[in-house]
Amino acid sequence: MLKVPEHQVAGHIAKDGKLGPLVDDRGRFYKPLQGDARGENEAKFYESFSSNKNVPDHIRGYFPVYHGVQLVEASDGSGKLPHMVLEDVVSSYVKPSVMDVKIGSRTWYPDVSEEYFNKCIKKDRATTTVSLGFRVSGLKIFDCQESGFWRPDKRVVLAYKADGARTALRKFVSSNSLADDSVPDCAYASEVYGGSNGILMQLLEVKAWFETQTLYHFNSCSVLMVYENESGGDEERRPQVKLVDFAHVLDGNGVIDHNFFGGLCSFIKFIQDILESSDNRCENGH
Amino acid sequence: MHLKAPEHQVAGHIAKDGKPGPLVDDKGRFFKPLQGDSRGEIEVKFYESFSSNTEVPDHIRRYFPVYHGTQAVEGSDGAAMIVLENLLSKYSKPSVMDVKMGSRTWYPEASEEYIQKCLRKDARSTTVSSGFRISGFEVYDHKELSFWKPDRKLLNGIKVDGVRLALRKFVSSNTLSDTSSKPDSAFASSVYGGSRGVLTQLLELKTWFENQTFYHFNSCSILIIYENESIHDDGARAQVKLVDFAHVHDGNGVIDHNFLGGLCSFINFVRDILQSSDESTDN
Repeated sequence: MLKVPEHQVAGHIAKDGKLGPLVDDRGRFYKPLQGDARGENEAKFYESFSSNKNVPDHIRGYFPVYHGVQLVEASDGSGKLPHMVLEDVVSSYVKPSVMDVKIGSRTWYPDVSEEYFNKCIKKDRATTTVSLGFRVSGLKIFDCQESGFWRPDKRVVLAYKADGARTALRKFVSSNSLADDSVPDCAYASEVYGGSNGILMQLLEVKAWFETQTLYHFNSCSVLMVYENESGGDEERRPQVKLVDFAHVLDGNGVIDHNFFGGLCSFIKFIQDILESSDNRCENGH
Repeated sequence: MHLKAPEHQVAGHIAKDGKPGPLVDDKGRFFKPLQGDSRGEIEVKFYESFSSNTEVPDHIRRYFPVYHGTQAVEGSDGAAMIVLENLLSKYSKPSVMDVKMGSRTWYPEASEEYIQKCLRKDARSTTVSSGFRISGFEVYDHKELSFWKPDRKLLNGIKVDGVRLALRKFVSSNTLSDTSSKPDSAFASSVYGGSRGVLTQLLELKTWFENQTFYHFNSCSILIIYENESIHDDGARAQVKLVDFAHVHDGNGVIDHNFLGGLCSFINFVRDILQSSDESTDN
C-alpha cells in the first residue's frame, strides 16, 4: 500500500491530487519519472552510479540505494506511471527532524536553455545560493516544547539571508521553542553535528571525495540531514547525511565539481561555527 | 627614481594610448596606477587592511605582494600609484602565468552592468566549466632562447583541453610556437612538483581558504612565476602569488567558496599534469 511521505521537506509533494513521490511500508520511496528529461536524467544517474566501480563504498553510503524503475499507480490518479524506486532515507526514523540544503553557488550549469538559466540565476541571487554557496530548501524540525513538528513556510525559507540560514541551522539542533524569536539553545549540536558519527564528520568524508572526483557534476543537488527525536529505546540520534535529487547531474569530464565543493566547504564552516560556539557555551557552564 | 614599463606583464592593464600603465624601478618596486571608479580605492583598502591584519598567518602572507603604500609619481600627472613589491625583480628569465580564480568573476555587490559583462565572459571562457581561466602567460623557449606568448584572442577561446595544453606548455623546454610538436613538460616536476613547488604552495593556500572569512577575492588571479636561467643547476624557484585586489570585499563570516572551488579545480589540473609527466619519465 503506497502513501504520501510524511517527512518530505522539499521538491514536489503528492498532495491534493498532484503528482508526487510515494512510500511503502518496506522502506522504499517511489519517485515518479516526470515527463521532461529530468526524470530520465535522474534514473540515468542512478543506473550509472550504482554500477560505477570507481565510487568507493564508504561514499556509496551517502546516496539512496537504487532499486530500478517500476510501474506504479500515480498519486494524481493518472494511472500506472514509471517510478524510480529508491531507499526511503527516513523510514528507519520514528520522529525525524529533516533539513534539505541545496549545495553550490549556482544551480544552473553550462548549455542550459536561456529560460532555465534566467530562472535559476534569479533564484540563486535572491537566496543565499550566490552569497553562501548553499541555500536551505526545506526543513521540518521536531519541537519538543510543542510535541510536534515546526515547519516554516517555504516562502519564509527561501527569503533567508545569511542570518536566517544560520538561525535555521541552530534551530535544527535546539530543544527550546522554535516558532518564536527565542535564541536557539543548540542543545543537540554536539550529538547531531558533532561526534565521530555526526553530521560534520560525514560532511568531511563527502568533501574529501569531492576534492578529486571527476565522475559527476551534482548540479542542483541537495544534502539531506536527518536525525531521530523519539526518546526511549537506545536514545541514539543517528544523524545522517544523504545526497539527493539528481535530475541535473552531468558527466564530470575530467573536471572536479568545483561548484558543489565550494558550497559544501562553506556549509561545513557554518556547521563548524555552530558546533564551536555551542561547545564554548558548555565549557562555560551555560 | 628610474622608472620603466615592466618587461613580463602577462595580463591586466598596460600603458596604452596615453593612459598610465604600471611601472617598475630598479629597487624591486612595482608601481600600479590607481584605477578609476572605486577599483583603485578598493585595492588600496584591501592592501591596507591585509598588511595590518594580525590574524593572517605569516606563511600565508608570503603569497601576497608586499605593500609599500601609495605615492604620487612623476610623469603620471601626479596621480597616485600603489607601490608594491615587484614580484619579478629577483628573476632574470621568468616564465609567468596569470590564472583568474573562481567559477564566477562577478559578485553580489557589483553593478548590474558589471555582472552581465562578467557573466558573458565567464560563460565564454573556462571560468564556468572549470572554476578558473588562464588570463595570460609568457614562457621561455630554451631552444629558441626567447620568450613566447600565446595570442590573447586565442587564449580567450580555449576550452578545457586548451587549458591542459597551456599548463603543459608552461613547463616545457621545446619549441613552443610550433603547434605541431607536443610539449615535453620537461620542467613539470621542478616547477609544479617538489616540496616547494607550485602544487605544495597551492595546497597551503587551499587550507587557508577553507577557513578564512576575512576577504572574498573576487576576480583575483594567481600568478605563477619560475626561473629559467640555470634551471637545471639551480632549480626553478617556482612561486605562487595572489594579485589584483580591485574587487575584494569583506568576507562577513563566510568563506570565499567561489575562490576555493576554483582553486581546488586548478590544483587537480596541475596534479594531473604532474602525475602524467612523472609517469612518462618512469617509462
